[in-house]
Amino acid sequence: MKETLLGGFIVGVLFGFVLQRSRMCFNSAIRDIRFAKDNWLWKQGLMAIAVQTVGFQLLASLGLIKLSPLAFIPAAQIVGGFFFGMGMVLAGGCASGVTYRIGEGNVVSIIAATFFALSAGAVRAGKLKFMLNWFGKPITVSMSNPGVYAAKEGKVAPTIANWLGLDPWVVAIVFTVLILAYLFLTKTTTRKAPMHWTVGGLLLGLVGMLGYWSQQKYALGITGGWINLFQATVTENAYSWMGLEVFGVIVGAFLAALIYREFKIRFPRDPKSYVYAIVGGIFMGWGAGVAGGCNVGHLLSGLPHLALSSIVAAIFFIAGNWFMFWWLYGRKGV
Amino acid sequence: MAEIKPDYTLDVRGEVCPVPDVETRRKLKTMKPGETLEVLIDYPLSKERIPANAPQEGAEVVAIEEIGPSEWRIILRKL
Repeated sequence: MKETLLGGFIVGVLFGFVLQRSRMCFNSAIRDIRFAKDNWLWKQGLMAIAVQTVGFQLLASLGLIKLSPLAFIPAAQIVGGFFFGMGMVLAGGCASGVTYRIGEGNVVSIIAATFFALSAGAVRAGKLKFMLNWFGKPITVSMSNPGVYAAKEGKVAPTIANWLGLDPWVVAIVFTVLILAYLFLTKTTTRKAPMHWTVGGLLLGLVGMLGYWSQQKYALGITGGWINLFQATVTENAYSWMGLEVFGVIVGAFLAALIYREFKIRFPRDPKSYVYAIVGGIFMGWGAGVAGGCNVGHLLSGLPHLALSSIVAAIFFIAGNWFMFWWLYGRKGV
Repeated sequence: MAEIKPDYTLDVRGEVCPVPDVETRRKLKTMKPGETLEVLIDYPLSKERIPANAPQEGAEVVAIEEIGPSEWRIILRKL
């Protein structure tokens, strides 16, 4: 399981199964809370983040993992984050959302994911790599004793804890208590969902912890996995843990959809939906490539580190999502 | 519940987030009290979210039926 391709695949299958059952889509979560006054999915996402905030800290304290917050390049997370946020509205789902919906038989999701993979790959490792230079160099924190962090030549990407010189446990506990207070002391919208949001959030958090231990380098991710799936298939590059994890997400969601009789090949009849999927996929891929992560890398896995990169990216994912939803639907009155 | 003859039909099968929800809201806004709307969808998330959010547009859920493999018919009535 540890650092093996089979481990990546198994974690991916579990992740995909839980995504399909819990309907976890960050695009919907972010949109619903603002435009539908519906906080069901939003709370499910935060529940997963709370579980992982304590969970990652625990795994790191036990010496099972080293924490690897994502690189902090403010301009990249601002611009890339905003594009990613706009893209997920157009594509009809976030990076993990379009991935798991392929397993449900969604044809637009296959199109969105393909363009997402191509454009993210071009920015991270291909012909558009020069664009990364536009956003400057990462800001790091030098630590003589990195402790729970994975340091590279004594440098670590900034988190709230290492940036302010606080004990990471204290920061993690304060953040978790704040989230839990919000989750359980405020009113939640009701919904007849197959999985209650507390259960969905808890399971997603546990899969994330298993993923961190299995991959070692980082917790769950989608962008890097899609890039690897394409590269390793059409060149001689090897498949990676995350590539197999993404493949597993599709398989896991397919199994869940099959078992619960929700699998169906679906084609939208409105031609506009296909165009939106292509443009949305390109925006999302470019945005995630520039920002160094998508809604999984930065939101689901990054926020539990309290990494500054992920906090800035999260703010601009939300801003881009709200802007594009308003542009497409809101200003015409929904 | 097949005997219900809705005043309007919205067929958004094949569409994903947020189209089924947005189109349903738009339609409900234009409807008069007592009128019924039939929404045909095949997107699992919206099967749960449209009924949950219909009261915001002053509508009640009359029925949710499975009409095929992963296809549903939701009947809403404007109050």
